[in-house]
Amino acid sequence: MSESSMTRPQAAVAHHTSLGVDNRKLGVWAFIGSETLFFATLITTYFVFAPVNRARPDFQDPRQFLDIELTTVLASILLASSLTMVLALSASKRGDRRWFTTWLLATVGLGLAFIGGQVYEFNHLYHEGLTLSSSLFGTTFFVLTGFHGTHVAIGVIWLLSVFFKVRAYPDSPENAMDVEIAGLYWHFVDLVWVAIFVLVYLI
Amino acid sequence: MNTLPRSFLRWSRFLLLIGMSVVIAACGNNPGNTYDPYGDNARRIYELLIPIWWMALGVFVVVEGLLIYAIWRFRRRAVGAAMPAQVHGNTQVEILWTIAPAIIVLVIAVLTFRTQAENAVMPDDALRIKAIGHQWWFEFQYPDLGAEGKPVVTASDMYIPVGRPVTVVLESQDVIHNFWVPKLAGKTYMIPGKTNFLTFTAEQPGIYRAVCAEFCGEAHALMRFRVIAVDEAEFNRWIEQKKTPPSAPAGMLTVNGLTGDAARGQAIFLDARKQCIACHAVEGTNARGQIGPNLTYYGSRQTIAAGILPYSPDNLDRWLRDAPKLKPGNLMSRVLTPQWIKANLSDQEIADLVAYLDSMKVSVTLPPER
Amino acid sequence: MAIAERTAGTVSPPSVSVRPGWAGWLSTTDHKRIGIMYLVSAFVFFLIGGIEALLMRIQLGVPDNTFLTPDVYNQMFTMHGTTMIFLGLMPLNVGLGNYMVPLMIGARDMAFPRLNALSIWLFIFGGLMLYVSFFVGGAPNVGWFAYAPLTQKQFAPTAGVDYWIIGIGLTGVASIAGALNFIVTILNMRAPGMTLNRMPLFVWMQLIVAFILIFAFPVLTVGTIQLLFDRHFGTRFFLPNLGGDAVLWQHLFWFFGHPEVYILILPTMGIISEVLPTFSRKPIFGYAFVAYSGVAIGFLGFLVWAHHMFAVGLGPLANAFFGAASFLIAVPTGVKIFNWLATMWQGSLHLTTSMLYAIGFISMFVIGGISGITLASPPINVQQTDSYYVVAHMHYVLFGGAIQGIFAGIFYWFPKMTGRMLNERLGKWQFWLMLVSFNLTFFPMHLSGNEGMPRRIYTYESEMGWNLWNLLSTIGSLLLAVAFLLFLWNVLTSIRRGSIAPADPWDGATLEWSVSSPPPVYNFAVTPRVRSRRPLWDEKYPHLHEVNGSHETPAARLRGLLYDGAEGEMPMAMEPIHLPSPTYAPLIVSVGIMILGFGIIYLGDFGVIAASAMLVGLLIMATGILSWVRISHVDSPYQAH
Repeated sequence: MSESSMTRPQAAVAHHTSLGVDNRKLGVWAFIGSETLFFATLITTYFVFAPVNRARPDFQDPRQFLDIELTTVLASILLASSLTMVLALSASKRGDRRWFTTWLLATVGLGLAFIGGQVYEFNHLYHEGLTLSSSLFGTTFFVLTGFHGTHVAIGVIWLLSVFFKVRAYPDSPENAMDVEIAGLYWHFVDLVWVAIFVLVYLI
Repeated sequence: MNTLPRSFLRWSRFLLLIGMSVVIAACGNNPGNTYDPYGDNARRIYELLIPIWWMALGVFVVVEGLLIYAIWRFRRRAVGAAMPAQVHGNTQVEILWTIAPAIIVLVIAVLTFRTQAENAVMPDDALRIKAIGHQWWFEFQYPDLGAEGKPVVTASDMYIPVGRPVTVVLESQDVIHNFWVPKLAGKTYMIPGKTNFLTFTAEQPGIYRAVCAEFCGEAHALMRFRVIAVDEAEFNRWIEQKKTPPSAPAGMLTVNGLTGDAARGQAIFLDARKQCIACHAVEGTNARGQIGPNLTYYGSRQTIAAGILPYSPDNLDRWLRDAPKLKPGNLMSRVLTPQWIKANLSDQEIADLVAYLDSMKVSVTLPPER
Repeated sequence: MAIAERTAGTVSPPSVSVRPGWAGWLSTTDHKRIGIMYLVSAFVFFLIGGIEALLMRIQLGVPDNTFLTPDVYNQMFTMHGTTMIFLGLMPLNVGLGNYMVPLMIGARDMAFPRLNALSIWLFIFGGLMLYVSFFVGGAPNVGWFAYAPLTQKQFAPTAGVDYWIIGIGLTGVASIAGALNFIVTILNMRAPGMTLNRMPLFVWMQLIVAFILIFAFPVLTVGTIQLLFDRHFGTRFFLPNLGGDAVLWQHLFWFFGHPEVYILILPTMGIISEVLPTFSRKPIFGYAFVAYSGVAIGFLGFLVWAHHMFAVGLGPLANAFFGAASFLIAVPTGVKIFNWLATMWQGSLHLTTSMLYAIGFISMFVIGGISGITLASPPINVQQTDSYYVVAHMHYVLFGGAIQGIFAGIFYWFPKMTGRMLNERLGKWQFWLMLVSFNLTFFPMHLSGNEGMPRRIYTYESEMGWNLWNLLSTIGSLLLAVAFLLFLWNVLTSIRRGSIAPADPWDGATLEWSVSSPPPVYNFAVTPRVRSRRPLWDEKYPHLHEVNGSHETPAARLRGLLYDGAEGEMPMAMEPIHLPSPTYAPLIVSVGIMILGFGIIYLGDFGVIAASAMLVGLLIMATGILSWVRISHVDSPYQAH
């Protein structure tokens, strides 16, 4: 908040807080803490069932189904989107509207590409015979990655709403913070993907 | 404020009443009383409870005593009374009353873990009995005591020898149930997809009440059984009889004003159109249904419908006609509704069925009810 | 009181328009109004849950009773537990917190007023959805703990479980949103000088609870989502015959469920820690120990969940660990109780109804704590778990403890919230009747439990020897109902005809008593400057501050400094007051989410219709969010300050 609020004293008044951290930023951090438990539970469930799956007659081998190349591309896309997000935030703080638009839309585009990739992957797996009900692997895999995908989709909607809001009110002192907290969430979702990628796809 | 002492008097009288009730309850020997153990497992738990109970009573008396004393001693006696000293705290006192409860729980923990270790012992020579939970009845199998590799199977009455450790192997067919014989041992869950073990020794012969203690659906309250502990010789006599299929049914029995014929009853029982054998099994016959309880030697059961009616031919007759009312939700009457029974079984046929089921008896000298 | 009058006179009306009548409530973003909405709706749910309990007690009054069918009885105890926990106790605490926390820390509103409004609406709609189930095939009948696999479609075919999932889901979102709001409000909106170590203990406990909540609730959410998928979309998380794991549900549920106990009890411990000092006319004894023992309880609360599962067969080692961790909780709990006793010690105890309830809390909570010790011991636990002993223990903690604590809080703060005093005479009648009938209801359950009476049975045989205990419980529960009617009567009459409450009726120490009763919509005309743990007390009794040789501010500097300019000068710079505008956006978003919830319930069975309903829900949500963004932009430079 420092840069934007220094240039806009009005915002400094609005944002006086006991800890010196913006309210919404603190709120999003706490929310991320909560979401961490959400994904930790889903990932734990996946690992609880991995050995059970292996011992069952309807065992489906993750190695046989998961396409590491595709998901490496997806992971890179999401990682790249974190970079563009950082650039968008920095442009927003500079007050550079053109580059802000570019980088934010790039982030949205990469997010959409990730979702597209995941839809393609799910569709492919479904035709290979991996479904929610085909095995414990299917059950745990789709619910885990599906909820991550939903979070990415929500992130895309969030970023787009920030984009339109900034366009509608270009002079709002809140803009930099709007971008920053959307970015926080975006990085978190990205980080969750890294965890899923390593724990589910690679191991 | 001068009404207060009266309130306290009421209070203390009330506490006294509670205390007396505790004493009375501890002395009673109701069929499910955990304060009245007859098994080693339950006894060790009871013996652990006693010292903890005294410690708890001590804590209770100290805390409530201080509280009541403080109210009596420090209550404001007049409006505008002097301002008390503004004490903010005292670190030494804090340390003291952090350590005091810590020591108490440490003692309790040590006692606890000793008992826990003792109750977890599973001797190799223990008699293994498999108990399987069903909605809403208990099945018992004696895998090591059957003839020709087939276990002895029964339901609702679990026979065990006195003085010999028994390890119950707990499983479930559908939802989670909970195996509880309060006077013999603590509870253990019966979980589908998981096998649990519970070891205990009955110290005296007796018929012990037991229940399913985990909520398991509509008729959970009516899912009961009996543990029948008899001395080793009697137990062996029982198991030997159970290994042999019942002999050909014969004899007459008057039920509900009609004379039932056991042999005719068997024919009805084995008639596929009457549906009995779709779910029930009787050793030595074509009845091999696996869904309901095994009915071999049904005439020696202590109860009907998983512990809810004392066994008698008349109650069996009632059960066959009126199962949904006696045990709402039970699987049999969901399939064979009273209407179906009315349409497919005449009064005479029911009397014959009762005569047949009642004719299959083992001879056991029953111990007293505990 | 004088202070409030002085300061109130110096300010012009705030730049906020409150809509009149119903519209004002539906569109409100004022934490005080939202707090009252929480309290009223939670109390209504609480009464419904109480009626469910009465029906059960009537059924159990005599053996072999046929007043309720087993299925209805099972619905009753499921709904009773779910209602009391999610729709009664939790929101009662949230309501008191919502109203009092900003006032106690010197803030003008919660950090996120619109999110606050969203929380109350989601909570109300979640509760209503749960109760809709009664009219569409039957309420859930699987217990509030919903053990797998009894919750699967095979065993629970009605939509009751689905409504339970979605109802709990909505109130869960409401709770998490509320908790985030509390965290940010308490950490960030404190008045200047209100350091963490000067915060009222009620605020401390609300902060701890908020943290427990955001970490515990997502785990339940995942569990219920997996259950929903099992029931409708072909997964097998909890289907043992397909490799699923019935015990996993218990882990997920109790990882949430045990911290939930502290979510219910800690705020009321906070209330006690406000009420006892006020009516003892002393500061809380060992402030730091009371605060940090709360932190310890909150932390340990996450390490003991499997003490609900000692009979599950997790193995002796796991049981020993969870038993030991559970024993440990006795230590911080004991510390709290001793500190409360020491607070009363040598005080000048003013035995108001609120104080009586606070004392009642201690006396009954001690019994609940002691009975908890035997339950924490794995060997004893397996005799007592799933028996009426647990019902007794749990009600001593949550009724004798939490509910009495909430009553202490209501009698304490009702004057502040309404500007009227509750009738003390009626209140004391209610207290004594409740104390006696509570014990009459629940004490015998210790005995029936240890004499072998399992929980959740709709009938029992006469020969089991539980008749007397059950009859006493039933009589007690009917008397309890009378006590609640007394309270209801007290509230309804006092709110109209009760004597007018001054700003500071109890000679309180904390900031909420420095403003008028009820407080102005903007709470504080001038943001207070806090210099000690008892800002108002030290303002009133500066000489006492010095007497005890406290390390904080010298007495001379305290006088009249709570509010800058209170010594007759104008404040240095009169800040403008800005409050969030009223808006329907949170209500609209909640309606959308509720419709979405209905869609999810029927998606498996009526695909197209349900999907269209979900679409409608999403559209309504989107509309609400748009208007939310707009209003928040208009308000943005002026967040409540």
